[in-house]
Amino acid sequence: MKQDYFSVNNIKYIDYKDVEILKKFLNPNGRIVSHKRTGLTAKNQRALAMAVKHARFLGLLPFVAK
Amino acid sequence: MKFMSVSENKGENTAEGRVYELGYLLAPTIKEEEVPAVYGNLKELILSLGGEVISDEMPRMMSLAYTMVKVVTNVRNKFNTAYFGWVKFYMKPEKVLELKAKLDLDPEFVRFLITKTVKENTIAAKRFVRDDMSHRKAPAAKKDKDAGPAPEINKEEIDKEIDAMVAV
Repeated sequence: MKQDYFSVNNIKYIDYKDVEILKKFLNPNGRIVSHKRTGLTAKNQRALAMAVKHARFLGLLPFVAK
Repeated sequence: MKFMSVSENKGENTAEGRVYELGYLLAPTIKEEEVPAVYGNLKELILSLGGEVISDEMPRMMSLAYTMVKVVTNVRNKFNTAYFGWVKFYMKPEKVLELKAKLDLDPEFVRFLITKTVKENTIAAKRFVRDDMSHRKAPAAKKDKDAGPAPEINKEEIDKEIDAMVAV
């Protein structure tokens, strides 16, 4: 992903419940992909990290996947 | 600069208070028929604390990404499934602490999360997924085009090879 996914799709608020979108930014182990690979702006990368962590807390995403 | 307006919205303070979202997991031990009652009680609790519900979603059964443990009356309960639901509401910041204190004591909640949010719908429409799908398919299509002329070259090579074989 070269361009910021959230700006391109006009997503202003990254929601922790939107698991399908968040999954795009996880590697097979369930770890958050680095900003180098995601191509997100620093601000959106931080918001993404927060959203993923909230989703993990509520069991929507795994902390570790096999 | 687009994003500036979002951060302003986040700190939005109106007469009713701030926009919060409560995401929660209800214990799977609750029967399917009793879930609406629990959900109704939660809404009443929010209203009783001077809150105003903006939007919400009914709790529905889902499998958890990992096993959660909650100790209720000295018994360690393990959960692999739970009812997940959420409510978005206006509330005064000091009242939210009261809400949290009440939910902490409730044995029906496996976990809950209170976050500051914006009043607009934050779940992106499905078309975003499709956009991404088409974007992903695009490079594959290009490869096919590249592969188009390749067999012709191969045919000539094959013909030459066959001629060579025949000659032998």
